[in-house]
Amino acid sequence: MAEAQIQQDEAVSLGVETRSRRQDFLRAFFSNRLAIFGTAIMGVFILMAVFAPYVAPYSPLQQHLPQKFAGPSFAHPFGQDELGRDILSRVIYGARISLTAGLAAVALATTVGTIVGLAAGYLGRWPDSMLMRLMDVLLAFPSILLAIVIVSILGPSLANAMLAVGIVFIPQIARVVRSAVISVRERDYIEAERALGAGDAQIVLSGILPNSMAPLIVQATLTLATAILDVAALSFLGLGARAPTPEWGAMLTDAFRSGFGVFLQGQHAIIFPGVAIALAVLSVNFIGDGLRDALDPRRRG
Amino acid sequence: MARTQKTRKLSRSDFLKLSGAGLTGAALFGVAGCGGGGTISGGGGGSGGSTFVFGRGADSISLDPIHATDGESFRATRQIFDTLLDFAPESFDMIPALATEVPKAQDGGLSYTLKLRKGVKFHDGTDFNAEAVRFNFDRWRDTKNEYHKGGGGQSSDFAYYLAQFGGFDDDSVIESVDVIDDYTVKFSLKEPQGPFTRNLTMSPFGIASPAAIKKNVDDFWQEPVGTGPYTFSKWERNSQIRVEANKDWWGTDLPASQGYGGPHLKEVIIRSIPDNTQRVAALTGNQLNGADGLVPDDVPTVKQQEGFALEFRPPNTVGYLAMNNEKEPFDDPKVRQAFNYAIDMPKLVEAVLGETGEVASNYMPPLIPFFNNSIEPYPYDPDKAKQLLAEAGVENLETELWYMPIPRPYMPDAKSVAQIMQQDLKDVGVNAKLVTYEWGTYLDKTGKGDHTMCLLGWTGDNGDADNFLNVLLNSASATPSAASNVAYYKNPEVDKLLEKAQTTVNESARQDAYYRAQEIMHEDAPWVPIAYVKPPIGLQDAVKNFDPNPTSSESFNPVTLSGGK
Repeated sequence: MAEAQIQQDEAVSLGVETRSRRQDFLRAFFSNRLAIFGTAIMGVFILMAVFAPYVAPYSPLQQHLPQKFAGPSFAHPFGQDELGRDILSRVIYGARISLTAGLAAVALATTVGTIVGLAAGYLGRWPDSMLMRLMDVLLAFPSILLAIVIVSILGPSLANAMLAVGIVFIPQIARVVRSAVISVRERDYIEAERALGAGDAQIVLSGILPNSMAPLIVQATLTLATAILDVAALSFLGLGARAPTPEWGAMLTDAFRSGFGVFLQGQHAIIFPGVAIALAVLSVNFIGDGLRDALDPRRRG
Repeated sequence: MARTQKTRKLSRSDFLKLSGAGLTGAALFGVAGCGGGGTISGGGGGSGGSTFVFGRGADSISLDPIHATDGESFRATRQIFDTLLDFAPESFDMIPALATEVPKAQDGGLSYTLKLRKGVKFHDGTDFNAEAVRFNFDRWRDTKNEYHKGGGGQSSDFAYYLAQFGGFDDDSVIESVDVIDDYTVKFSLKEPQGPFTRNLTMSPFGIASPAAIKKNVDDFWQEPVGTGPYTFSKWERNSQIRVEANKDWWGTDLPASQGYGGPHLKEVIIRSIPDNTQRVAALTGNQLNGADGLVPDDVPTVKQQEGFALEFRPPNTVGYLAMNNEKEPFDDPKVRQAFNYAIDMPKLVEAVLGETGEVASNYMPPLIPFFNNSIEPYPYDPDKAKQLLAEAGVENLETELWYMPIPRPYMPDAKSVAQIMQQDLKDVGVNAKLVTYEWGTYLDKTGKGDHTMCLLGWTGDNGDADNFLNVLLNSASATPSAASNVAYYKNPEVDKLLEKAQTTVNESARQDAYYRAQEIMHEDAPWVPIAYVKPPIGLQDAVKNFDPNPTSSESFNPVTLSGGK
């Protein structure tokens, strides 16, 4: 492994064969059928999110009370919810909220986690111990429980749910970045940079960070899947999106609130938001796995 | 590191593949599974005809009724204890219970003499008599009484005595309870109290065995002894309470039409199933003979099931949107009236409550005496609302509408109510942001008047107008914290009327005062009254004579189970 890494590092530092490396990556990624599936599904979700006002057949907030829990029909392919709102439109607008919330949470976790990881890994010694013990404390709580605690303190809202989920995932990113930094920092090219008189900041930003990106990208992607799920879970528990925001988790809980009858007559109100959450989470996971395989140097052959 | 990465990745991929393949299937199967779960046959549920299993949403807190305030405690204590007076089935008409007649006020409402039933025995074999009544009231009233304690960790500390009789010791409206002879007892009051006799019907004032309390007052709340139609047998915490028939009950030979007779069941099991969906599934799966706490949408579900019927508890609740009368622009009655015109209440009630609710016209439910029938609800008239808002100089109003985070008997789905109101308000140019908090926080904040508008409601205790209007709309209840008048409605004229009605026992004077108070409230419009909810109870067809009591708990003495099925 070390040998392959060095060869690759040499190639990078010599500035040759970068194109073939990208081709390698793309070939590896798209030879994974699940990754293609994941990318396709995610693509659909992203299009839905971006073009929601053009794609959605109705306003997600328009109520038609007499058609409470009306089943799927030609006019309403996914049926209608407990206030007669069009579920398809709500699922489409929900993509906006779930993806934005997930991405925002991951952006927060990645930014803070990377800074912590870089600092801990590069500085070593007591800053390392201190930061990583702090991360261990956060990691000691089950993620959703910690998120619930944070939202309860801050007050329930979608922004606070994003914030909570972001905080919860900081340690995972920090640990991955730190271990990557440690494996990179003693490399010859870092030594070389140092010998050339580069300062700490330059070494970290131009030497260490770019070479630690692969595991970070993979971890961030996988975290996105969990973040989407956790934001939905918080909304399901009434700690996330405010009514009447069309959020997938909140849609589920709204349907459940209507009792046992929903299981007999209103399944569509549960199935469609549920499937949307499952598909989004699954597709991000597939992409993450594809990325990992494609970026793994051992997989090259 | 590399090694663990690899193993983890492989199992993860497999898992993802599997879950991908089974995704839709699993989702569908999950739903089907829940529906099918009801077919498990329950122990003694549908057959035998002698054990009655009733499902409810939460466990009791205390089985000593004076130590409880929650309806689920009273549901059990109603079986074990009797009160001096009671309500006839499905009404607020008082009937005798441990007393033999409904007493008349004497000395202008300053004293009442009660004749007691003879030959009644507590479940421990001791006699019920005037001395027992005196013992119970002394225990409740006198904080220095050596038995003024017990109740376990969650005791309400005699809260209902405090609430209904003005306080303990010198604050108590009841000055003394005197034994005239073995079966006659006299209550002396400090001042007339309009709702006095109605208070005596309340579940917390069930008469307990003095001998059992003297023997072990600290454990009485979990080993209750009363005179009721059923004797306590076993309490399995968070699961069920078992009671057995009291063969020597005093009411056995009295007319069933008045709510007496029975007990016809050998055993009653009161089971706690907190999840609404599970409870309805258990009912339709014949694991329960009856269940309450059904959400409105489950009413058609249970109705359509063969072998099940529904009973509705007469409405003893009012749900409302309270506007904070101290905050702009709700200090202007025109704005408050505009909100009353702006919301299409019949449409809202139909959508959210279906058969389980009726549109509210007043500030208390119609079953309560002195309900003013001549008041009509504000009609739905968005144009009138816009006009009133314009007259008040209110434009593009941005406000907040708070809704309860959990279902309450008076409003099972506040979130839907709030969303429907939000849409109606938008039509008249009001932009209401929906806000909710955790339930404890919600009560705390609304009790301090932090809200501009909030949804809330009230379940009555003793069937008296005082218990609604005075508690919810007297300016004295608009306290800086823990306010029950969350509209912060303060009208001196109304206060005067309410006080007059509270401190007289003259029925026609009370009627005039309450009628007038309701008219003023309707005009001032501190709330948008929403609905009177009739909570549904699901029952197997085999269950007969289940008479829902408006006070949310009833004695099961008349209930019968016909044959097995």
